[in-house]
Amino acid sequence: MFRRPSLSLALAVFAAFAAAPALGQGIGRGFELERAGRYADAAQAYAQVLRVEPANLPALLGLERALDRLSRVADVLAPARRALAIDSANPAILDILIRTFVAVDEADSAAALVARWSARSPSDESPFREWIVSLEDRGRFDDARAAIALGRRMLGRPSALAIESAELEQRQENWEGAAREWTRALAAEPAQEPSALAQLEDTPADARGKVTDALTGADAPRAARRAGAELLLGWGEAARAWTVFQTTVGPDVPDAPYALHRFAERALGVGTPAARRVRAYALARFAEVLPARVALQARVEAARALLDVGDGTAARAILAPAAADSTAAPAARALAHTVLVYALLEAGQLDSAAAELARLRDDLPLEEHEQLYLGLARARIARGELAAADSLLAGDSSVAAVSLAGWVALYRGDVKGAMDRFREAGPYAGDRAEATERTIMAALLDRIARDTFPELGAALLRLAQGDSVAAAAALQRAAGQLPERGGRLDVLLLAGQAAVGTAAGEKGAADIFAEIVRTGPPAGAAAPAAELAWAQLLVRQNRLADAVSHLEHLILTYPQSAVVPEARRLLDRAKGAVPRS
Amino acid sequence: MRRREFLQRLSGYGAAMLSGPALASLAPYRSRTLASLLIPMDDAQGDHLKAYGVTYRIVQAGLRAEWFLNYRGGAFLLPDGDAIRRDAALAGVTVEPVDETAVTAIRGEIAATNADAVILEKAPKVAVYVPPNAPPWDDAVTMALQYAGIPFEKVWDPDVIGGGLKRYDWLHLHHEDFTGQYSKFFLVFPGALWLADMVRTNGAAARQLGFASVPDLKKAVARAIRGYVEDGGFLFAMCTATETLDLALAAEQVDIAASYADGTPADPDADAKLDWRQALAFQGAHVEPNPQLASFSDIDGHQVNVPGRRQPLGAFTLFNFSAKIDPVPTMLVQNHKQVIPDFYGITSSFVRERLKASDIVLADEANAPWVKYIHGDHGKGTWTFFGGHDPEDPQHQIGDPPTDLSLHPHSPGYRLILNNVLFPAAKKRELKT
Repeated sequence: MFRRPSLSLALAVFAAFAAAPALGQGIGRGFELERAGRYADAAQAYAQVLRVEPANLPALLGLERALDRLSRVADVLAPARRALAIDSANPAILDILIRTFVAVDEADSAAALVARWSARSPSDESPFREWIVSLEDRGRFDDARAAIALGRRMLGRPSALAIESAELEQRQENWEGAAREWTRALAAEPAQEPSALAQLEDTPADARGKVTDALTGADAPRAARRAGAELLLGWGEAARAWTVFQTTVGPDVPDAPYALHRFAERALGVGTPAARRVRAYALARFAEVLPARVALQARVEAARALLDVGDGTAARAILAPAAADSTAAPAARALAHTVLVYALLEAGQLDSAAAELARLRDDLPLEEHEQLYLGLARARIARGELAAADSLLAGDSSVAAVSLAGWVALYRGDVKGAMDRFREAGPYAGDRAEATERTIMAALLDRIARDTFPELGAALLRLAQGDSVAAAAALQRAAGQLPERGGRLDVLLLAGQAAVGTAAGEKGAADIFAEIVRTGPPAGAAAPAAELAWAQLLVRQNRLADAVSHLEHLILTYPQSAVVPEARRLLDRAKGAVPRS
Repeated sequence: MRRREFLQRLSGYGAAMLSGPALASLAPYRSRTLASLLIPMDDAQGDHLKAYGVTYRIVQAGLRAEWFLNYRGGAFLLPDGDAIRRDAALAGVTVEPVDETAVTAIRGEIAATNADAVILEKAPKVAVYVPPNAPPWDDAVTMALQYAGIPFEKVWDPDVIGGGLKRYDWLHLHHEDFTGQYSKFFLVFPGALWLADMVRTNGAAARQLGFASVPDLKKAVARAIRGYVEDGGFLFAMCTATETLDLALAAEQVDIAASYADGTPADPDADAKLDWRQALAFQGAHVEPNPQLASFSDIDGHQVNVPGRRQPLGAFTLFNFSAKIDPVPTMLVQNHKQVIPDFYGITSSFVRERLKASDIVLADEANAPWVKYIHGDHGKGTWTFFGGHDPEDPQHQIGDPPTDLSLHPHSPGYRLILNNVLFPAAKKRELKT
């Protein structure tokens, strides 16, 4: 953030003063009175100190603060003048006097004092800073602008006082002008980039384009382009942000690693898919510019980020050389291998992943190895390669593998085998989503009085492969083979839930839900679940009155159903009783 | 007529399903005088906030309800009936059917303990003071009313200045800054479009109503609100509205607004010139003259936006009043929790030293120099002030997502708001205090 020199100096002086007990009592008392809100008494305490020691800076600053609270700023003039007579070059005292002149509308006195101070230090911006800021604080923007112009003339530098000028433009809501001034300021002081960011990130949406144009122009300094890129990132233009940012982190730029890491962190905070993608790019570049001995960890992190955005090929490309680096520490190499296998799985190169896993059997921790094998089995299942998945799981007796084997059995149509394995795996294998999905499926299978049901297995495999439309149709056909109280409505509900996820399937889903709801309480748990799913669909279609009608019917007809709390929440949203977010 | 409105309201909820059997069930309700429904308000309740809505709708329909103060967290007794059961079931409100014998036993218990029964006979007509451009879900009371299903109307400066408040029994003020300084938001949100809109809207209203400045307009609005209370209105205010309403009233003849608000600097001797006899709740406060400090005065104990003065949040405790002697404060503190986590607002609390002697403290923080929740009489009406912005969002920031009350159906802080809505429904009677 933009700093006020006088305030920081005041604090520093006060801190130094606090260590000097001989002077402490009077000032300390004034400070305590200030804290208690007794400003008149505080002013008196500070004035007493100044009578003994007229150039005592902490007392003078305290007096200024207290009198300001009492709206008696003019009373600071006399003691400040006395202090300056004793210590005429003290910048803090000069600042106080300038501030006070501005506050009491003695414009000529302020200008004269600034001129005298500047004459003593012709290249110093300090005399003008306090003057400009004081004028801005009083809302005298035209005077502040004139002071900036005068300062630039006297200093002989058109880019002088750019930060003050940027703040002035911003206060007058000229965001483009503020960005131009920050661009000037950053050319001279690149370290002010965080201040520029903090000031400009509040730019209203309609002015953002001009702000980033000003910061990222071809002639803009590197720090300004970086600031522009980070603003673009925060404002939802991640791809453009990365395009701009890349130009600031060439191989000859000494602070490139730091800048890349900061950009990646900022992208992580933004969190959108596009931001996560540019984060991965930044981390990948970060790994490239680091010395080789410390780059492995960065490569792994970059590869994980790339995997996170579904770019397995790029992840593999960045990790392959690192995994093959025989000079790296064994733990780091194992980590690189693990991520590499995930990258291969993500990229769909299952045979390569299997070969890599077989090769690494002794190099990876057992648990990591098992997880990768399960990942490979899942990838085989997703492709419909059930035999290959079976053989991967055959020798594994872990609950996670047993659970997965249950799904393979189910997809083959072996209902009994699936149920046996699900029971063996128990209710807690895998993460919460996995366990919930398995439990729901076990409850459904329990209603089906068949040992085998290939049509159901094939339909569920389609669903697992993401083909919702075909799965919904197949599930409907499978349901048609079951008696009403023998799982038909439950399988139909699953068909409806699969269909409702696609725009094309919404009409069919509504018909399915209607059929189940018409059956009523004999449908068991499927009826309220179908009515809730139907209401959710109606809310999405903005048919709120119809949704309300269904939700009320559900709540009143099935008061003991587990879906009633969810139905009540949806009812509140449909009625506008709670925010729809 | 009222019964018809009630049926219309219910039919609005249920459309087709309610029309047949449920409508028919209301007619014989009056003949089933022996059957009642108890709405427990202790931990057995499924949705404390919506219970107020169910009760409100009963009273609105012209039926009689009773509020059992200090009995099971402030339970309600309603007549039994299918439509009422249906309304409660949809809302997730727990009801317990009770017969005459059980009711007699409850009344005996109430008579023997620090409890009382209050008849609720008239659904108050509710107004919320809110600018026309205010975003939805920005006000705890509006959210509570919408969640509970209690109808309300919005009023703003032209309605208030035009004498429109007399149409309402209950008026709520939220985070309006009656000093006319736009809550000093320009310190934190310079250039924000919504702030520019706020300045534009208020300036236009001042011009339209013939006032020289927004602070002058807000002072006139504050006076009209005080007049509303004098004439028997029930006023409930939260957050900034509490502190700034009294500042505006006390500053009737003094300029306490910074120059950015009215073109002239605040009177440097404002403190000495304030007339606290005009205020409702506070006295002797020091007005914050510095426009660069996000504070109005030393009435607020927490000073959330002033670095160096900001106080941490604790918890506040509801007072336990004698239900039979002090039914009004007892109604206002009915709750299933006695100790409630505190929450910030631009005005979060009220410094004890600034309270008038006649104020009734309803809740405070133990050993702290401030209180949270206060009440008092003025003329024929009453006022109640509750510090803070949103009981379920203790560190609320502008731009935060709105609170979804369906995730907080047992919120004790929101219950206090709804106590206030229902309290004007209570039948007037001679009070000992």
